[in-house]
Amino acid sequence: MPGAKSATDQKAMEVGEKEAMDEMEKKVHKYSRGQAANLGALRDKKLKGQLAAREKLYGHSAKAAAQAEKWFLPTERGYLEPEGLEKTYRFQQDSIVQEVDILSSRKAFDMILPLLGPYTIGYTTNGRYMLVGGRKGHLAMMDMLNMELIKEFQVRETVRDVAFLHNEQLFAVAQKKYAYIYDRDGKEIHCIKEHGKSLKLQFLEKHFLLASINSFGQLHYQDISTGEMVANIRTGLGRTDVMRVNPYNAVLGLGHAGGKVTMWKPTCVKPLVTMLCHHGPVTAIAFDRGGHLMATAGVDRKIKLWDLRKYEVINSYAARAESLDFSQKGLLACSNGSQVEIFRDTGSQDYKIYMKHRMVKGYQVGTVLFRPYEDILGIGHSMGLSSILVPGSGEPNFDTFVENPIETSKQRREKEVQSLLSKLQPETIMLNPNMIATVRPSRKKEKKTKKEIEDEMEDAVEAAKNTEMKKKTKGRSKASKRAKKREEEVLKAKRHLMEQYKENDGRPDKKQRVSDEVELPKALQRFAKSRQ
Amino acid sequence: MAGTKPRGKPKPKYKALSTGGTNGKKSVTGRGAGKGGERRERHGPRLPTALRRELDALGTGSSRGSDEDEEAGSDAGGGDVYEYEEGVPEEEAGKNGRYDAVEKYEYEFDSDGSNADENIPSDEGEDMEEGDAGEGEDEEKQIRILQETTGMPREAFDGGKRKKQSLELPFHPGVGDGPVTIHDLLNNIQDKPGYSKIRKRVQQQEKKPMVVQPPLPKMEREKLERSVVYQESRKEVTKWEPIVKRNREAPTLYFENDVNLGVNTVGAIASEFKPRTEFEKKMAEIIQSTEMMEAHKNDGAKILELNKIDVEDVRERQNRLAKMRSLLFRHEMKAKRVKKIKSRTYHRMLKKDKLKASSADFEADPEAAKDYAMKQEFKRAEERMRLKHKNTSKWAKRILKRGLDIQDEGTRAAITSQLQQNALLTRKMNSTKDDSSSSEESSDDDEDDNESEAKILNRGKEKILKILGDNNEIPTSGVFSLPFMERAMKKHEEATYEEARVALEEYDESLRKLEDDNTEENVDSVKVSGKRTFGPVKNTKKETNKRQKLDDADKNSDSEYESDSAQHLDNNEVNKADDIQLGTALLDDEPQDDLFNSIDNIIKNPGPKTIFEVGMLADNSWKKFNSSKGNGGSSINGDTNKSRVNATSMPDQKPKQLDHNSDSDSEEDMVEGLLTISDTRENYKIPSQADLIRQAFAGDDVEAEFEKDKMEVLNEENPEPEKPALVPGWGQWTDIQQKKGLPSWMVKEHENAKRKREEALKRRKDAKFKHVIISEHVDKKAEKLLASNLPFPYTSKDVYEQSIRMPIGPDFNPAISVSALNRPAIVKKPGVVIKPIQYEEVDPHEKPDEPKRVIQRAVPNPNVKKTSAKQAKGIASNKRK
Repeated sequence: MPGAKSATDQKAMEVGEKEAMDEMEKKVHKYSRGQAANLGALRDKKLKGQLAAREKLYGHSAKAAAQAEKWFLPTERGYLEPEGLEKTYRFQQDSIVQEVDILSSRKAFDMILPLLGPYTIGYTTNGRYMLVGGRKGHLAMMDMLNMELIKEFQVRETVRDVAFLHNEQLFAVAQKKYAYIYDRDGKEIHCIKEHGKSLKLQFLEKHFLLASINSFGQLHYQDISTGEMVANIRTGLGRTDVMRVNPYNAVLGLGHAGGKVTMWKPTCVKPLVTMLCHHGPVTAIAFDRGGHLMATAGVDRKIKLWDLRKYEVINSYAARAESLDFSQKGLLACSNGSQVEIFRDTGSQDYKIYMKHRMVKGYQVGTVLFRPYEDILGIGHSMGLSSILVPGSGEPNFDTFVENPIETSKQRREKEVQSLLSKLQPETIMLNPNMIATVRPSRKKEKKTKKEIEDEMEDAVEAAKNTEMKKKTKGRSKASKRAKKREEEVLKAKRHLMEQYKENDGRPDKKQRVSDEVELPKALQRFAKSRQ
Repeated sequence: MAGTKPRGKPKPKYKALSTGGTNGKKSVTGRGAGKGGERRERHGPRLPTALRRELDALGTGSSRGSDEDEEAGSDAGGGDVYEYEEGVPEEEAGKNGRYDAVEKYEYEFDSDGSNADENIPSDEGEDMEEGDAGEGEDEEKQIRILQETTGMPREAFDGGKRKKQSLELPFHPGVGDGPVTIHDLLNNIQDKPGYSKIRKRVQQQEKKPMVVQPPLPKMEREKLERSVVYQESRKEVTKWEPIVKRNREAPTLYFENDVNLGVNTVGAIASEFKPRTEFEKKMAEIIQSTEMMEAHKNDGAKILELNKIDVEDVRERQNRLAKMRSLLFRHEMKAKRVKKIKSRTYHRMLKKDKLKASSADFEADPEAAKDYAMKQEFKRAEERMRLKHKNTSKWAKRILKRGLDIQDEGTRAAITSQLQQNALLTRKMNSTKDDSSSSEESSDDDEDDNESEAKILNRGKEKILKILGDNNEIPTSGVFSLPFMERAMKKHEEATYEEARVALEEYDESLRKLEDDNTEENVDSVKVSGKRTFGPVKNTKKETNKRQKLDDADKNSDSEYESDSAQHLDNNEVNKADDIQLGTALLDDEPQDDLFNSIDNIIKNPGPKTIFEVGMLADNSWKKFNSSKGNGGSSINGDTNKSRVNATSMPDQKPKQLDHNSDSDSEEDMVEGLLTISDTRENYKIPSQADLIRQAFAGDDVEAEFEKDKMEVLNEENPEPEKPALVPGWGQWTDIQQKKGLPSWMVKEHENAKRKREEALKRRKDAKFKHVIISEHVDKKAEKLLASNLPFPYTSKDVYEQSIRMPIGPDFNPAISVSALNRPAIVKKPGVVIKPIQYEEVDPHEKPDEPKRVIQRAVPNPNVKKTSAKQAKGIASNKRK
C-alpha cells in the first residue's frame, strides 16, 4: 500500500510538473509575441545568422519574462465559487460583502442623490479617483482609496458627460453649450468652444487627445498638451451620444441611429470601418482591452459581440442594454433598466451570465463602469451612485510604471512628465498599430507626384547621357556631331516625362494668360506696383 | 645570333675548363657553341615546340642532349649530367613560331670521366677546346682573346690546337681497352688511408641508377614554383578562416585592453622605490633611521623634537642666503649696465677678452676644446659642401660675367670679402690637416697609428671590464623578479660574460700583436712603407722594454683619466649638492614665513569673526525659519481661508444667473436642484421628442440603407467607368454609321475599365462582408510611419516584419536581457587601442554559445602591434560592416 501511495504521489507530482511546464510554455509564448519568421527559406547567410542570434535572444528574453512573472504578478484574480447547484448569478451583494475582507467590503456602497440625477461616472486610469456628474449640474470628485470627497460643486447647467484627462488634476465636462475643463479644485481652466455642444467625451491617454462628439455629429480631436485642434470631422451620420475609445489602438467607435458602428481616427475624414451592427439605433458600445473584441447593444434588443479582426459576430444575446463596459479582465457589464448583468467569458469567447444585480425598483441605470485595478463596478443611476463588488473584474497586479493606484504626488508628477515625453502623435492611431514601421503596401499610382517625375527625368537624362556612342567613320563621329546626337537623345528621353509633368501641373498656361490680360494701358502703367 | 654573343664568352669558358679539368665534368650550353661547334643540319620534320616538349617528356629514358636532336652516337655516356646555366631563351623555344629556327650546336662532355683523357691537356694550361673545328675567323678571335688574357705567345694556342686535332682521332672511336673508369683510378690509391671510404661511396653510387632528368624549361619550372607557393600561401591563409568566420558571425565583438596592469597602486610603487642617487640615499638614511622610525611608531610628538634647528644654524644660513642674494643682485645690476653700453670698441674688446678666455679654457679644458674643434670642423665641412662663399652663387656669377672691373667699389669689396671668407674657411681646414699631418710626418707615422689603435683597444677593454663588473645588477622586483625571468637573465648574463671574455682576449691578443708590430716596424721601418699588412706575424722578436713602457704609459694614462674623471665627478657632486642646498634654502625661506604668518593670522583673527558669523547665520536661519514658518502658516492659512472663501462664495456668486434658455434639442429643462424638486424618475423616463421619432423610424430599412451607402463608398473609391458615348453629331451621318453603333475600341475600353473595377472591388477587404465597409483610403500622414521599401538586408517582407515584432526596450523586457538585446556590434572603450587580429586555434565546428567574445588579449610582440595597427583598424572596420 505505501508503495502504491508513493506511486500515486509521484504521479501527482508528475502531473503537477507537467501542468507547470504547460503554463510556463504558455507564458513564454505570450512573451515571445508571435512566431519567428521561417529562416530556413532565407538565402542570405549573413542575415540568417544575425536573425538566428536575434531570435535566440528573444527566446531568452521571453523565458526570463515568463519566469519573472511569478514574482511580478503574485496575486491571482478573484472569482465566485458556486457549490453544487448554486449559480453565481444568484449571489446577492450582501452575501458577497459578508464574505470578503473588510477593506473590500467597504468599497461597495450606495449613494442616494435624488435631486440632481441621473448620474454619469468616470474613473482615472489608475482607478483611484472617481468623477461624478449629475445631469443637473452636480459635479464631484472622490478619492476612492480613502473614500474622501475631494471636490464637489455645481455648475448649474446640464452636464452630459464627464471625463478625466491624463490624471486627476484635470477633468473635462460636457456641459450645456460647451465643454469645460476643470482642475482638481474645481477651478474652470478652459472653456472649449470649438467642440460645440458635445454629448460625449473620451480621452485618449497615450495621445493626449480629448475627443468629443457634438450634437451635429461632428467629431473633434483636441490635443490637450498643446491646445491644438487636431481634427474636426463631420461624420454626416447624425446625432449620437454613443462613443467609446478602443484602448488597444485608440480608434474611436461611434454608434449611430442607423444601426451602424463607425470607427474613426483623427487623420482620416472618412470612417475607417463602417459596420452594420443592429437593425435599430445603437445604444451602447464597448471595447475589450485586447482590442479585438467589441460589444454593441441596440434598440433591437440585441447585445452582440464582434471580433474586430474578422468583422464577424461572435455571439448575439437577446437583451437590452443602456450601457456596456468591459472590465480589465474581460467581464462585460450591461445595464438594463434597474438591472445590471455581468457576463463572463467561459472559454472561447462564449459569454455567459456571471452576476446579476438589481437596483431598487424604479432606478434607471445610466452608466456602468468597471473600476480599474479593483473588483468593483461603478453604477451611475437616476437616484445617485452605487458600487458593487464583482469578484475577478479588475487586474489584481499593477505595474507602477504603467499605472499606480496608490501613487504619491511626486510619482504623479513624474508620471505626467514621462507620459508627456512619450506622447504619441495623432497619426499613429490606426486600426492595426503593429503596422508601424512595416513596409508600405505597394499601391498602383494613377498619377506620379511632381518630385517623382523630376527624379525619373533626371535618371533618364543621366542614362541618355551615359550611353556609349558607336564609333563611326567618315567624320560621323566628330565631336560636334556626337554632342548633337547626345542632345537629341536626352530630349527624346525627356519628352514623354515632360508631358506627364505638364499634365500633372494641371493648368500650365492659365497664369500666363492672366498676366497678359492684366496689362494696363500705358498711361496707368506707372502706377502699377513694381513692374519689374 | 652569334653576333649578339658577348665578347667575353670564351674567357669564362676557358677559365672554367682550366679549373674544371680536375673534375672531368663539364658542360657548355648551346649558346656558347655558336662559335666553335660543327654546324649540323637538323634532320626530320620541324615539329612545334609544344609537341616536341611532349615527346621529350615521353622519351626521357633515351639520352637526349636537350630539346635538340641527338648528337652523334659517339657519346656513349650512360648518364649525362647537365649543368643548367640559363633558361631556354624564347627564340630557342620557338615560341609561337615567332622566331626563325636556328640550329643549335653544342658541346657534349662526358660527365663521368670516361672521356677524362680529353681534359688532360687542360692540366697543362693549354688550350683544349674539343670541338674546335670551327671557322678560322672565330678561331682567330678566340686566340686573340686568349692571348690578351694570358699574355702568352700566339704560337702556344695555335700549336695546341694543331696537337689537339691530331690527338683527336684516337679518342673518339675509343681506345681498344675501353674508357678509363673510376675503378682504374681507385686502384692507384689502394693503400692510401681514405681508400675504403671512397670505394664504399663509389659502390653505393654504382648501385643507384644514375639517371638524371634534364632540367625543365623555365616556364614550367616557374609554373611549378607558383603552384607550390600558392599551395603554401593558401594553407597559410586558410588557417585563419575559422577565426574570421567566428568573428564575422559573432553578434558583438569586444575590444578590450588587458586590465591586469600588475602593480598599480601608489603604495605598491612607493614600496618598490629604492634610493639610487646620493641625495636619495641620504634621504633614505635619515628617514629610515631607527630614531625616526620609532618616532613615527610612537606618535608625532617626537618628530617635532627631532625637527629642532639650532638658532646658530638658522642664523648662519640666513646670512649665507643674504650674501648670495646680494651677490646675485650685484651681478644683475652689472649685467644691466654692461648691456646699456653702446660703445663699439668696448664690445670689441669684450669679445676679444671672451675669446681669449675661451682659448685659455680650451687649453685648460680638453673637452671644451674638442667641442670647439668639432664645431669648427662642421663649419668647414659645410663650407666645403655648399661652396657658399665661392663664386658659385647667382649673384657672384653674374658679377663675374659682367666683369669685376666694371663694378663699383662696394660690390668688388663684397666679392673679395666673400672670397676671403671662403679662403679662410678652407685654409683653416688645410691648416689643421697640415698640422696633424706634419706632426705625423715628424713623428714615426706607424708608431703613432699603432699607439692610437692601442688606445682604442684599451678603451674597449676597459669598457668590457666595466660591463663585466656591472653586470651583477639584477632588479629584485617587478617583472624581472619572476623566477623564469631571473633564469633567463642569468643565462643572458653568462652569455654576455662569455662574449666579453672572448672579446677581452682578442683585445689582449691584438694589443700584443700591435706591440710586436711596433717593435718590428721600428726595426725595419724603412722596409715597410706602403700598406700595412695584417697577417700572421713572422718576426717573433720581442722588445720587452718597449712593451713595458707602453704598458706603463697606458696604465698611467688610465689612472690619470680615472682620477681626473673621479675628481670631476666629485666636483660636480659637490657643486650639485651645494646647488641643491641653495635651492632648497631659497625655496624654503619665504613660504615658510608666509605660512607662519597666515597661520598666525588665522589663529589670531578668525575666532570672533567665525563666532560672529555663526551667530549671524544662526540668527538668520532662525529668522528665516520663523518667517518661513510664519509665512507658510499664513499662506496656508490664507489659502485655506481663500479656498474657504471661494468655496463659500462660489455658490453665492451668481445666484440669479439661471439659465432659462432651454436645451433646444431636449425638452428637459435645467432645474435648480435646491429650489425645485421635480419627479426625476418621470423626467428621465420620458425620452425627448426627437429621440422618440428617431427610435420610431430608425429601424425601417437599415440594411437597404447600408447597402446603398456601401455602393456609394465603393463608387467613390473605385469610380464606375463612364458609358461610352459619341459626341452628338459625330459618326451619325449615315445609316450605316448609325447601324454600326459605337466603335469597337470604345466598347473594348469600356469593358476593360469595367473589368478592372470589378477586380478592384473583389480585391477589397470588405468584398466578402455585406455588413462592413472598410475604407481603402490611404492616410498620407500615417504613410510616413511606414517603410517605403524593404530595408537592405531583407529580401522578404514577412521576414522583415517578423524581425521587428519584438520590442527591445527596457519597458518590455526583463533587465537581464535588455542589455543583450541592445548591444552594439562593436564594444570598445575610448582610448583602447585595437590590436591586430591574432591567430588562435578555433574549433570550426564549435557552436558559439556565449554572446561575449573578446577579440584582443595580451600581445606577445609589441613591435607587431605597432606596425600593423592600421591593418587591424581596417579589419575592425570590415567587421563593423
